[in-house]
Amino acid sequence: MAARIETASSQSLSLPLATRLTTAVVSLFLGAFLIYGVGLAQSDALHDSAHDTRHSYGFPCH
Amino acid sequence: MLVRYLLATLVAGLFAGILVTPAMYLRTVPLILHAETFEDAAGGHDHGSAEAGAAHSHAAGEAHEEEQGAELPFGRLGNTILANLVAGAGFALALGGVALLLGKRITACNGIYWGLAGFFVFALSPSLGLAPELPAMPAADLGERQLWWVATVLLSAIGLYLIALRPEIWAKVMGLVLIALPHLYGAPQPDDLSSPVPAVLASEYAVASLATNLFMWAVLGVALGWMLQRYAVAELEG
Repeated sequence: MAARIETASSQSLSLPLATRLTTAVVSLFLGAFLIYGVGLAQSDALHDSAHDTRHSYGFPCH
Repeated sequence: MLVRYLLATLVAGLFAGILVTPAMYLRTVPLILHAETFEDAAGGHDHGSAEAGAAHSHAAGEAHEEEQGAELPFGRLGNTILANLVAGAGFALALGGVALLLGKRITACNGIYWGLAGFFVFALSPSLGLAPELPAMPAADLGERQLWWVATVLLSAIGLYLIALRPEIWAKVMGLVLIALPHLYGAPQPDDLSSPVPAVLASEYAVASLATNLFMWAVLGVALGWMLQRYAVAELEG
């Protein structure tokens, strides 16, 4: 029982949401921006540079 | 701002991005190059019915010629490495951001599960509707496919959260419904399925793409957990 509680608490963060929120939102937006640029942006320069990456990851292409 | 958390995430993403490059050159890139010979044989730019699509990005119709394209000047391998680094960083930031938002700790031990979750959300689920696609294969309008792809990724992520991290039975049912929804709706499909690319090549490619994705996400999940445990623990417990 004690071990199970230990496991559960070690999987969760004790930091309050207010402390985590800024970093989490920045991380999510930056991540989405990078994924959009590599995988989805309809720009010839970005498409041609990331061509093999887009196909390999299975992004919609062409 | 948890700077060490962000930096550790970035390093894990770049690491996965570097490792996935040789994995791509093992299977997916040779198959892409092979398929491009059929693209040329079919008259240069036969992208199926999508060519006529209004939202198609290749306005000049020749932007796709690899040698004369608008790509960055680092060569094909260099550009792919660069794109993989950016993609790895992007996927890592998304995964780390979600974990932070949910108040969950990614460790070296549970990192593999976070990686598998990313694989399911970004690769497996979208591939059920839009199979990994080779150059010269027929495809529906690009804008519509991208919209379906983004919607599927978001719904799969929310659905997986409801199933894996919420104890309530309604949440698990709701999660299954959200994951199934884009597939019941159906991905945009081309009107004409005839393709200059041999079927064997296409099926080999679908498996190769998913396997490469699985490798990248497994590496990313474990690396992310390891990096966060090693370099961001003080910040997370502060």
